[in-house]
Amino acid sequence: MSLEAPDTPETDDVPERTPDELEALLGDLVVDRDDHLNAPGFVIRPDTVQETLSRLKSAAGYDHLSLVTAQEYENRYESIYHLKKFDDPTQEVSVVVPADKDRPVSESGEAVFRTADWHEREAYDLIGIEYDDHPDLRRILLPETWQGHPLSMDYDRDRPQIATLPAHANPLEEHHLDAESDTMFLNIGPHHPATHGVLHLKTILDGEQVIDVEPDIGYLHRCEEQMAQSGTYRHQIMPYPDRWDWGGGGLLNEWAYARAAEDLADIEVPEYAQVIRTMGAEMCRIAAHMLALATFALDVNGDFTATFMYAINDRERVQNLLEDLTGQRLMFNYFRLGGVVWDLPEPREEFFSKTRDFLDQLPGSVEEYHDLVTANEIFQMRTIDTGILPPEVAKEYGATGPVVRGSGVDYDLRRDDPYGYYDELDWDVVTEDGCDNYSRLLVRMREVEESAKIIEQCVDLLEDWPEDERTIQANVPRTLRPDDDTEIYRAVEAAKGELGIYIRADGTDKPARFKIRSPCFSNLQTLPEMANGEYIPDVIAALGSLDIVLGEVDR
Amino acid sequence: MGTVQLFPQFVSETLGLSGVLGDVVGSLVAAAVVGNIVLAFTGVAGPWAKRKITAAFTDRIAVNRVGPFGLLIIPASAVQLLAKELIVPEGVDRPTWDLAPIVLPASALLGFAVIPMGRLGPVNLQIADPEVGLALVFAFASIASVSLVMAGYASNNKYSMLGGLRAVAQNLAYEIPLIVTAMSVVIFAGTLQTSGIAAAQADVLFSVGGFDVPTWYAFVNPFAFVLFLTANMAEIGRNPFDIPEAPTEIVAGYQTEYSSAYFVLFYLGEFVHIFLGGAILALTFLGGAAGPGPESIGFLWFVVKIWGFFLFTQWARSALPRVRIDQLIEIGWKGMLVLSFANLVLTAVIVGVIA
Repeated sequence: MSLEAPDTPETDDVPERTPDELEALLGDLVVDRDDHLNAPGFVIRPDTVQETLSRLKSAAGYDHLSLVTAQEYENRYESIYHLKKFDDPTQEVSVVVPADKDRPVSESGEAVFRTADWHEREAYDLIGIEYDDHPDLRRILLPETWQGHPLSMDYDRDRPQIATLPAHANPLEEHHLDAESDTMFLNIGPHHPATHGVLHLKTILDGEQVIDVEPDIGYLHRCEEQMAQSGTYRHQIMPYPDRWDWGGGGLLNEWAYARAAEDLADIEVPEYAQVIRTMGAEMCRIAAHMLALATFALDVNGDFTATFMYAINDRERVQNLLEDLTGQRLMFNYFRLGGVVWDLPEPREEFFSKTRDFLDQLPGSVEEYHDLVTANEIFQMRTIDTGILPPEVAKEYGATGPVVRGSGVDYDLRRDDPYGYYDELDWDVVTEDGCDNYSRLLVRMREVEESAKIIEQCVDLLEDWPEDERTIQANVPRTLRPDDDTEIYRAVEAAKGELGIYIRADGTDKPARFKIRSPCFSNLQTLPEMANGEYIPDVIAALGSLDIVLGEVDR
Repeated sequence: MGTVQLFPQFVSETLGLSGVLGDVVGSLVAAAVVGNIVLAFTGVAGPWAKRKITAAFTDRIAVNRVGPFGLLIIPASAVQLLAKELIVPEGVDRPTWDLAPIVLPASALLGFAVIPMGRLGPVNLQIADPEVGLALVFAFASIASVSLVMAGYASNNKYSMLGGLRAVAQNLAYEIPLIVTAMSVVIFAGTLQTSGIAAAQADVLFSVGGFDVPTWYAFVNPFAFVLFLTANMAEIGRNPFDIPEAPTEIVAGYQTEYSSAYFVLFYLGEFVHIFLGGAILALTFLGGAAGPGPESIGFLWFVVKIWGFFLFTQWARSALPRVRIDQLIEIGWKGMLVLSFANLVLTAVIVGVIA
């Protein structure tokens, strides 16, 4: 909840180890070094993954498995475990695990980090690496009947695939978990009023109580990584991020790609553009959080609640500002590598006054939501102490964003791994200690106020910005060809949490591997932890409080 | 209390019929008129008023293109709903599945048979006035839960099943407090006869500045009124107690598998049920058809009261979160039941001491 002044870095309490110290710590486990731009990388043997990860986790404090990237080279397969620290995400390390080209088998990291479960399933699904000791190695995005692994090199894209409806168990037939129990299997979704998109929850009920829930995702998989790999860095990739988190988070998503690609190609963004980016991104955060509040009210209040329309109305106001700024309402495509596509709309005074009007009415709106929603006794009865996610569990699953901050973990990349103009501005990271559905909502509502503070400061800065220093884009070559075999993983704080991009360059103008770390993907994994043992309405509330966007989960 | 002429008698006398023929014709005509009045309410409420009211609560405009104030949306919606295909899912338990949507509106409509809806000119809009009137109303209204179970059980759908089970649990938990609270009114009035209960609320409780506050039981015993109102909301399944349907949890509960005319019947039944709930509330706590002005416009006051209750349900729907099923049961059995019995005993003691 406190703002770390930029001059007192968090590294005070987390001793940073140099790459050589880490190598010494890992000792024999390291067979080679493969440093990435963002972090030292240690190559290990495929059968020592658990040992390496657990040593880094317990002895060196790398407690956040942000992402597992898998890819295929000409001569090998490779899994990369991108590790960070919740206390200081600038301390990163990559564990690179090559696997045999003919028989790609690698030990699973699931025993050390629960979050590796889904990440490795995705790697298996799309690339084809098999993970030993994985508890449940099935396809996750594609249908179970799919043939081949689409991001592997020998994949035949021309071969027609028929995704048959497998002979699924009759959803109406009886279900018994064991001989004594009398349970019921229930499909929540893929088409259900409260799944926020096309999500399928395989739920096992004992009466009204949930004893097991398994999210089944992939219905909205649109090959975003593949598409990004077929586009050029300079212009063709930027439109895609808008299509991940479409709950309003467009500019935040664009920033994730911009940050990774700019660091990869070593592009310096002008300060003026950074301020505009910061302002636009926070507007997006307000829009996204308003949508989260609106849909959460739908889930808890029922589908005629006034709160929904109130929140959508407020979202509409900020959406109008974004439209003025970017020319679009949802798919902004406003960022460019090295800046933004155009300056603030003319007349600038009108835009500023509109923005200030919005900021002036926002506290009143937030107050109204507190009266209408969070102060309501029935609402508190429904949400407090339901959907409990303890901080340790949240970290274990790599949960980020309002979800982990609602569990009291003080983790926000805007402050802890500063980018843009955030470290020059005065704002606070919001946390709540309740670990329940209510806390996650409160975090979002308070973050809206913090975002408003940021926007206000940006507007002040932009208003006084000298006219001859308004550089909106750095001088970026028309074609970008980052050096061969450079790899980078960079993340930003998007509306739902840590949105990261891994890019491997191969010397051409297109990425050889483009991997998206979706915050919703990791956050959704925590649902069974929150839901098991609760009632159906609590599962719905917990899902709502996770605020997932299926476009980002499935990519 | 047979001094007031009932509606069927009025009809048969006006037509000059007597004996069995007069009874039959009078009853049929009276029932048809009252039934159509109630159905007209729902016709206005469902497609139009509900949309307008919800829109007002949520800063929207709602239907305004079809006819003046969008009123022609009523026939438009009716045609639209009835023109849809009636989908009969595989494996439903017929004829239970077909009967459920008929039982619900029928049970709610039956309740209106003994409600004294007040006078409109020379006509006293009450079909029957049996000695056990109030008990009958509750009996009719309770049949609704049978319909919900039928629908939930026969639909061969797990969401429907959950909705049906929730409906039973909820109605059990709330009908007892509802009826026990109504019993306290019966103790005051000294009769179960509906016209008698309305008549007992005609005295003056006290006067404030020349304005007479009547002995409506809402004023005599506001505590019981709040209890009854709450239990009534649960009984008719509106927010915060819309658990049996609970869209966003169990899709649409017992009515998940119903479409077209069957869906309309359910919808209709629910609205008639809301109006019946309003009518019972008006009868037991708000002085029935009493109001300022001559007795001959009593019906209008009655309409105002039940529409007031309808407005209240819509307000709650826009503003209040839904409680969870276990919390609902807990409130019902551990809270409302105890409070309603306390109210009953206290009322009995007070009435016994005073009288």
